[in-house]
Amino acid sequence: MRKYAVVVLFVALCGLKIPVALAQDTTLTIRAIEGLKYDVPRFVVRPGTRVHLTLDNYDDMAHNLVVTLPNSRLRVVNTSLALGDQAVKLNYVPRTPDVVAHTATVDPGKSEKISFVLSQEGIYSYVCTYPGHGFVMYGVIYVTRRPATVPPLDKDPNVAANRKDDMAGHAGHMPDHPYELKYPAVYRTFMPDSGPASIAVGLTPKQAYCWDAGACRLRYAWTGGFIDQSDHWDGNGKKPTHVVGDVYFRDQGGFPIRFGTADRLPEVHFKGYKLINRYPEFRYTVNGIEVREMIKPLPTGRGLVRHFSLGAVSGPIYFACKPGDGVKYRPSVGKIQDGMVRLPVGTRNFTITMTAE
Amino acid sequence: MKTTTTSLIGTRMTRIGRILIYLFLSVLSVSSAFPSKNFPADTITDYYEVETIQMPKGLTAETDGLAVMPDGRIVAGFHRGEIMMYNPKTKTWKLFAEGIHDPLGIMAVNNSEILVMQRPELTRIKDTNGDGVADEYLTVTDDFGLSGNYHEFAFGPVKDKQGNLFIALNCASNGAGIFPEVRGKLDTLGRPGRMYSAVPYRGWIMKLTPDGKLHPYASGFRSPNSIGFDANGNLFASDNQGDWLGTSKLYHVQEGKHYGHPASLLWKEGFPHLTPIKLPVKMLDSLRTVESVAFPHSRIADSPTQPVLDNTGGKFGPFVGKMLVGEMNHPYLVRLMLETVDGHIQGACAPFLVGSGLRKGNNRLAFAADGSLWIGQTDHGWAGDRGIQHVRWKGKVPLELADMKLTPTGFALTFTQPLDAVTAKQVANFQFKRYYYEYHEAYGSKQFDVQPVAVSNAELSADGKTVTLKLSELKAGYIYELELGKLRSTTQQNLLNHLVCYTLNRLQRNTQANP
Repeated sequence: MRKYAVVVLFVALCGLKIPVALAQDTTLTIRAIEGLKYDVPRFVVRPGTRVHLTLDNYDDMAHNLVVTLPNSRLRVVNTSLALGDQAVKLNYVPRTPDVVAHTATVDPGKSEKISFVLSQEGIYSYVCTYPGHGFVMYGVIYVTRRPATVPPLDKDPNVAANRKDDMAGHAGHMPDHPYELKYPAVYRTFMPDSGPASIAVGLTPKQAYCWDAGACRLRYAWTGGFIDQSDHWDGNGKKPTHVVGDVYFRDQGGFPIRFGTADRLPEVHFKGYKLINRYPEFRYTVNGIEVREMIKPLPTGRGLVRHFSLGAVSGPIYFACKPGDGVKYRPSVGKIQDGMVRLPVGTRNFTITMTAE
Repeated sequence: MKTTTTSLIGTRMTRIGRILIYLFLSVLSVSSAFPSKNFPADTITDYYEVETIQMPKGLTAETDGLAVMPDGRIVAGFHRGEIMMYNPKTKTWKLFAEGIHDPLGIMAVNNSEILVMQRPELTRIKDTNGDGVADEYLTVTDDFGLSGNYHEFAFGPVKDKQGNLFIALNCASNGAGIFPEVRGKLDTLGRPGRMYSAVPYRGWIMKLTPDGKLHPYASGFRSPNSIGFDANGNLFASDNQGDWLGTSKLYHVQEGKHYGHPASLLWKEGFPHLTPIKLPVKMLDSLRTVESVAFPHSRIADSPTQPVLDNTGGKFGPFVGKMLVGEMNHPYLVRLMLETVDGHIQGACAPFLVGSGLRKGNNRLAFAADGSLWIGQTDHGWAGDRGIQHVRWKGKVPLELADMKLTPTGFALTFTQPLDAVTAKQVANFQFKRYYYEYHEAYGSKQFDVQPVAVSNAELSADGKTVTLKLSELKAGYIYELELGKLRSTTQQNLLNHLVCYTLNRLQRNTQANP
């Protein structure tokens, strides 16, 4: 059960010595959905990030996904319309320098994965060039060192109009439950980009995080919405739950707490959670030491405040705060050095504040 | 929006289903409105009544799990993670817990605490501050693999007399893949096959000892929804027709044994490290323990569910001490009549509550202290219905087959009422055929070697309740399907159910092969 965590730590430790550009990878799935839409309206990466992107076609018609250079989306769409009888063979993708990467035509129910690197800062697009789709079906990639400069979703001029409407509200939707969902809300469900025993927590209707109960750690956090489980709830539940909103933090460092030495990954066991004012306080053991973790939203802005309580530990305690995962760390005790906080011996309670960069 | 459509269709289907049942019932009552002069028109509704429980507005009532609390409330878990309590006295619902990932099994611990089997773990859910809402969700065990495949359901728990808990882990389905990250050790040798086991211990029944350790107990299961004990503490698991299951089955589960679906063998200690389905079928066949009961597909059950013991002391009618099994695809339950022959449990199954108004999708069964039966129903994208129904015995004993036992030369059939001697002695009222289903990788199986079996003699016991049949041939390894004729009782009742299937794995020791 710890195999994955070991691999992640190995990568993380090696990552300290290799160029930052190579260390940055992000994986995401974008669904083509009913109504000529991608479910992800936009995402943000740092320059040099290798993006592993899966286009998963949930719609009942074929789509593709073409990543275009800044200010070139309409040019690419218009060029694709002029491909004539070459169009099908070329998957409706013109061979122009404006195209950074693209999938083939993905049939309904199928998916395709592409990988690409965006080195230069700028506002890129991803668009479906299938005839007639390109003018409405697109999203935006912000490649920036300063994610905080990205405008709020509902005011973003680069997001497709049909996606902005969706964010405005879901009138006429059947209720999810026989009650109005209260926040904080906790769901155990199949979350993307996490282990299968994951917990989605909506702190507010617009602030949420994914906690992996298999690996006992926070995996990612987002704002702008909570989750959409309609696909996972439908039928046999083959499709996972979807994140609604923008992910601003994605853990890169593996399990964060280390006892004794900073580089030895401990053995963890999930023990459950207690709801305190509806906030889950997670319980797990780390090398047999009981740990409690309670995560709350930052009072203002995007970010999380994580409270930890530990059983008695002899020797030093470390907490991994790897840079480059989207947030700035501020520990309540100790100082960050080389991506690690060394907590004073005897620490039983500490807080890690994570503020979106 | 998809969900909306599905639930609308679901409602419509239910309505159509109900109309069909009413039509069926009215046809029955028309035909029995002209009985021969001595026989009143009795139907199952004279003996059992089915109440449909009003579900909370806005609930998608795919009932995953259901149990009875010590104080008589009904606790039910639903597909979207709600766990709700129903008070039968006030007919009101109250939310107890939220956010559970498919709570397919619930066991009441006390009035403020339950155990819930959800996909990732067995969880102890407790209301610690007495406000009627759970605030503690503690992991009892999560020491098994989870690949992210949608078919990796988890069933149970049930508790034995020593305090051990048992849970059952479904295999994954090739209808979908696995997550890039899994919980537990991933072994790609477990990926091939229609239903597969790429993480431990998919396809196993596990035993959780009171020290909190989870032990692999028995292997060879495909989709063991679900498990239960008989009156003697024997553990049973039902399993679903599919690859390696020619028809659906009920297994008597014993420690260390393997029950036939090969995928799980990958995780058996000491077993060679290879893809089990690639072994010769003959070898796989030799490794398995056969089922106690085969449910002939579409005749008896397409998708059997939870086995439950009638421990009501007679408050649910004449079948006390025997087990019932739920069924997804038919609007009825299945009644079991088991016995031990040559040291092994085998026996008969028969439809029960046909025409009672029971819906399909009968996924969970629980007896209340008053002897009534609560039934949770689901479809989960397959055949079925949604909601909860409540079945009460009305106090009169119907004419039904109560027991079927193998004899050295045939079967002894015991009925709930003394039979009219003339019809009971007519061999034409006992039409047998026998056949078997093949053990193979392909999905399901046709019936092989179907042969009628003649009854040469029918004798009625002095009390009129038992008919002893002599058959022209008895052969181990066959299902004996019996169609009963128009038998009637001296109490002027009609036989309600006419179909019964006996799984004859073993002849009685000392049985001579009939000439």
